[in-house]
Amino acid sequence: MHYKLKRITPLDCVVLLALFLFAGFICYRLFYSLNYRWNWSVIPTYMFRLNENTGKWEPNILLEGLFTTLRLSFWGMVLAILIGFLFGLMRVSTRLFFRLAGRTYIELIRNTPPLVLVFIFYYFITDQILVSFAIDEKILSSPAWLQKFISIFFADPPSLNPFLSGVLTLALFQGAYIAEIVRAGIQSIKQEQWESAWSLGLNKWQVMRLIILPEAIRIMLPPLGNEFINTVKWSSIVSIISIQELTFQGLQVMASTHATIELWITISVIYLLLCLTLSVIVAKIERRLSRFDSFFQTGAAEGN
Amino acid sequence: MKSHLSRLYITLFSLLFFSLATLSYGANIQQDIAKNSTIEKIKKRGVLRVGMDVFQPWAMRDKNGKFIGFEIDVATRLARDMGVKVQFVPTAWSGIIPALLTGKFDVIIGGMSITPKRALSVNFSIPYDYTGMSIVANKAKAAGFNSLESFNSPDVQIAVKLGTTAVAAARKFVPKAKLRMFDTEPQAYQELRNGNVHAVIGSAPKPAQEAADYSDTLFLPLDTTFTREPIGFAVRKGDPDTLAYFNSWITVVDMEGWLQERHDYWFMTKDWANLIK
Repeated sequence: MHYKLKRITPLDCVVLLALFLFAGFICYRLFYSLNYRWNWSVIPTYMFRLNENTGKWEPNILLEGLFTTLRLSFWGMVLAILIGFLFGLMRVSTRLFFRLAGRTYIELIRNTPPLVLVFIFYYFITDQILVSFAIDEKILSSPAWLQKFISIFFADPPSLNPFLSGVLTLALFQGAYIAEIVRAGIQSIKQEQWESAWSLGLNKWQVMRLIILPEAIRIMLPPLGNEFINTVKWSSIVSIISIQELTFQGLQVMASTHATIELWITISVIYLLLCLTLSVIVAKIERRLSRFDSFFQTGAAEGN
Repeated sequence: MKSHLSRLYITLFSLLFFSLATLSYGANIQQDIAKNSTIEKIKKRGVLRVGMDVFQPWAMRDKNGKFIGFEIDVATRLARDMGVKVQFVPTAWSGIIPALLTGKFDVIIGGMSITPKRALSVNFSIPYDYTGMSIVANKAKAAGFNSLESFNSPDVQIAVKLGTTAVAAARKFVPKAKLRMFDTEPQAYQELRNGNVHAVIGSAPKPAQEAADYSDTLFLPLDTTFTREPIGFAVRKGDPDTLAYFNSWITVVDMEGWLQERHDYWFMTKDWANLIK
């Protein structure tokens, strides 16, 4: 941990200057020589609207899209973790059938383009699942408080079905990557841990639950955090199946106002802020866990 | 003789019986079709679900996030006349027919041109409006171009929106030109303004409006549209009742002059422009 902080060298200054000039050039091209009529005023208009009945400001379609993105990412991640753990455990199972099933799912998803998968999931898989449950009819006949609850935590009853297919699509997609993280995490635990756990007379599930998973989850957490950020970013892909999240709403406003570049810049900034916040949270968790690790290691060393 | 006669009776009776059975079976099928038609489902649900995509001036989002536009007027009135609510399902144009076929909504009311190819996978109503293709070009790149023939050359690049009838029109009228396809219309027009393509082919009146908005760089090589395309509602196949209802409705509002009036408001004026920005 003992290294000397290096001062800024002349080379650093030159590189920085060159970068600033390049960025300035891009901005100049964008704002002055592009044949484009800038109209930034559409951004706040489509972010907030004035409700004439109550006189209060409400989120307009862009912010509604952002909320949908957040809900979509959250539920997508929750489901993806469930799917990921299920298939990850199948991948390390002693039964050939489970290993084959887990492997088929993962390889199928990792080796096909996401765009194609999204279409297949949306039109052929999730729809069949949702239709057989007839969720929308049940919701329409449910009490008002339940409908309100659902529209806060999921989506408005009319757009609930597409929202759920979006969540399922995202979860099936991200689940495959999480399954690999789970498998790698479990396999990184040394064989001795298994053997000593068996020697205590624990059965297979107890070993997994009490010994292996608690250790493995600490190893899995940083890549899982990474997947959480990925889920937020990938949620933009479901705009192609007309789920009304941030990117889709942005495209709608673009088609309505023809203010293309302003909207793309705004959307990128929103995603950037969202993912940066998540990165900071993940980094914090990692730091806390590493402190925990070093405590264990020094504790063990002193014990010797 | 007697046995002959009884055989004849048996034949006659069984013929009668079977024909009655088939008749009543036929009646059952008719009832089934009527009962399972989309129209009945809409009435039961109390909501007409309409699939559309956003493009000026057919369907747009106004400053309050509400849908406005020609199609929106048509669908809203249709739902009102049916005594149900209307729900718009905005859908990306490239996936709008699969979405209809898989039941994401009941009908496409989205400025969809009737084409023989599309009519193989969906059923169209009678036309409720007509549109045409027009062309807008870049002054610097396409200087002096004043006919479709002048664009018909391998060094000319033309931008169009993917999956629209503009693609077919371009292939038919300027087969030698190179086509560049974009997912949305704003992208195609931006490429034209940047001077990377010679022209954009699109549904009227957008090309003319674009030429007016950017009159220093763009111009209209032709005064009029060069195709005439019927616009219809699209429904899933095998549903004659729904189609018949929509056709009757279109005939009525067309005779009233209501369709023409709404068309003129959205396509001939720009009174609605301040609703957007």
